[in-house]
Amino acid sequence: MILKVAIVQQIDSMNPFLAVFQSSTEVGRLMYDYLTAYAADDQRVTEGLANRWEPSADKLTWTFTVPEGKTWSDGQPITAHDVAFTYNLMLTNEVARTANGSFVTNFSSVTAPDDRTVVIKTKAPQVTMLALDIPIVPEHVWEKVTNIKDYANDQMPVVGSGPFVLTEHVAGQFIKLKANKNYWRGAPKYDELHFVYFQNSDAAVQALTKGEVDLVNRMAPAQFDSLKDKAGVTRNKAQGRRFVELLINPGARTRTGEPIGDGNPALGDVRVRRAIAQAIDLDALVQRVNLGYAEKGAGLVPPVFGKWHWEPGEKELRTFDPAAANAALDAAGYPRKADGTRFSLRLTGRAGRAYDEQASEYLKRQLGDIGIPLDVRLVSDNQLNEATTVATYDLAFSGWATNVDPDFILGLHTCAQRPGADGKGGTTDAYFCDQAYDELYARQLSEFDEGKRVELVKQMQARFYDQVPAVVLAYENALEAYRSDHFARFTTQPAQGGVIMAQNGMWGYYGAEPAARASASGTTWVGFAVAGGVIVFIVVAIMRQTRRRRATAGERE
Amino acid sequence: MSRFNRSGVAGAAILAVAALVAVIAPLVISADELDVTRVTAAPWQSPGAEFWLGTDHTGRSVALLVAQGAGTSLFVGLTAAVLAVGIGTLVGIVSGHFGGLVAGALLRVTDFFLVLPALVLAIALSTVLPRGLGTIVLAIGLTSWPSTARMVRAQTLTIEARPFVERARALGGGHVHVIGRHVLPSVVPLVLVNATLAVATAIVAESTLAFLGLGDPTRISWGAMLHQAQLHGAVPQRAWWFLLPPGVAIVVVVLAFTLVGRALEAVVTPKR
Repeated sequence: MILKVAIVQQIDSMNPFLAVFQSSTEVGRLMYDYLTAYAADDQRVTEGLANRWEPSADKLTWTFTVPEGKTWSDGQPITAHDVAFTYNLMLTNEVARTANGSFVTNFSSVTAPDDRTVVIKTKAPQVTMLALDIPIVPEHVWEKVTNIKDYANDQMPVVGSGPFVLTEHVAGQFIKLKANKNYWRGAPKYDELHFVYFQNSDAAVQALTKGEVDLVNRMAPAQFDSLKDKAGVTRNKAQGRRFVELLINPGARTRTGEPIGDGNPALGDVRVRRAIAQAIDLDALVQRVNLGYAEKGAGLVPPVFGKWHWEPGEKELRTFDPAAANAALDAAGYPRKADGTRFSLRLTGRAGRAYDEQASEYLKRQLGDIGIPLDVRLVSDNQLNEATTVATYDLAFSGWATNVDPDFILGLHTCAQRPGADGKGGTTDAYFCDQAYDELYARQLSEFDEGKRVELVKQMQARFYDQVPAVVLAYENALEAYRSDHFARFTTQPAQGGVIMAQNGMWGYYGAEPAARASASGTTWVGFAVAGGVIVFIVVAIMRQTRRRRATAGERE
Repeated sequence: MSRFNRSGVAGAAILAVAALVAVIAPLVISADELDVTRVTAAPWQSPGAEFWLGTDHTGRSVALLVAQGAGTSLFVGLTAAVLAVGIGTLVGIVSGHFGGLVAGALLRVTDFFLVLPALVLAIALSTVLPRGLGTIVLAIGLTSWPSTARMVRAQTLTIEARPFVERARALGGGHVHVIGRHVLPSVVPLVLVNATLAVATAIVAESTLAFLGLGDPTRISWGAMLHQAQLHGAVPQRAWWFLLPPGVAIVVVVLAFTLVGRALEAVVTPKR
């Protein structure tokens, strides 16, 4: 039994220290376990290679226990030394930090006093110690690797610790993995997992309807709708990890306070930004642009990460109200001119992205209604990137995928993430810089009481919502579909409304259960054989009977 | 000869209808019917009594979109062709008339644009320049003038070799006189034919650029319709009514321009 999965994105590297593309890390999760994992049903931290962990009182020393009985796919036991080797490789070798370096920057030392124990010492308390998304590699294979940068990790079969073992990879065509029969959680319920490349998602959807592949994700709403009543295909509408947003240039400045870019100065006024946010009909965008396959936007963390997600309360909520927005703009000192407009803004988006092309029409209409005509500029990917990094935009479409831990997405909006004096460096999203927000960020980073940290994270999102350097428009659903006549069920993460592909884990592939097709077709075959046999028997019996009759008739003569 | 004229007349008739549609459509169709935020019809309706050509992904009538798109496609086609033929004629006459260093320089530039793949250059131009109708016109115009330039230059050379031009020169006619009174009138018929054919290629070029998503996103054109059909999943929806009409419209109008162009060519040629 083979599970065939359609993928569109290329693989950048099979070397887990270098792989950054989503497609590559997805395959990486199948090949290598991490120190800890995220449970399938509710994404809480659960057993990975380590089954116990203990921070010291000062939160600076963490002790992980790697239990006995877990083995690499070549039969060698997995020990604490493998873990220490992997982390130390990243600490000592800059190239090995390419993909996941951010997790270890705060480490001061990693040691393995015995086969079962890993001790990690950090320079400062770190809340993400149980969310170290680093594939652990086998020391007995990787100690022979001298040049990480050029190591393609293609000694098939690739020794790993995950539920599948990489056996073949032809770039741009397919990736083949075999089930790891010795996997410590138990072997997968089928034999092979193939990833098949497609040029675009239209082609992948066609292949699914023809039964050439069993699983497709990242579908457009129209594609998803087209599979509605297809026999043998089951659709999975999941809560996604992505959101789309509309950036509002709040008067961009560099880290040193120099103005940068050419945003409209009116947007520096928070009252104007609030009025713009109030004039956007988020429900209409979700209904008409996302075709209902999204949830209305609010805070920076999507609802799929339940406890971190923030919804505005009654007092904070900005409901769609053009009249109030008009009044607010009048009050803020931007009256309508003779031609009915106040000031015009540029709206920058990406040409060829369905969302941008459609949503820009709505924004143009809705902001036109409050006297702000939009000059819609749909440009190429590069031009959009350039406009947002050097702040030559007024309004612009953007979007992010978020992680289980909200640290990354929240960190994007701190003052320190703005570019330096030369306009380079930093990965700021919206040129947001707010004292209150930054203080909350620093506090949540060293808050080990989860309840308190959740509270801080929500306060940050409320602050962001109030200051509107960007309007979160919608949390897009992840649209997937699979051949339910080939595979009966997949494990989703989280259990309710979760995704099959692009999880924080490998549960979707690992938990796939083949449909009872073989036995079902077997019974029908047996049925046909029995029925055929009975018919043959009856025919033969009748023929013999008639012949005997004839014979007896002849003899009778 | 007469057959050519008949097909030429047919082409002209089609063009007249297309032009009429292009002029009338914006006057008759209310803006609300083409505004995605204001339409109320269901998306992806197949052709029926209410919507002759069905509806698109937002519920707009495809028939109205095709009618509205005629204007943009014809406008871009015509202006780009005029631009291309204008540049081509200027370069052709100047290089043919003056010869020498000027001709050498101009011809090298012509050669440069001739060997450069026009579509790639047009894509590059429309990526770098700000989005808009003007950019598309410029991109097409700047990439499709070399063939006209070559043809006009050849014609200029043959005209200037004739005795009457030599006589005009001997009688003291300057550059302006020779070009204005003798060369240009003999070149004009050829230029006209060329312009008609150039419109056809310009419309195809506009549709190509718009289909690739490089057109003016705020304007409806036939190429832009094909782009949206492809982008919003008309193929998996099996929505042939969103793909075929703009495609057929492009084919018909381009064919009409070609027919008219060929007929004009047949009329113009025997006189020389």
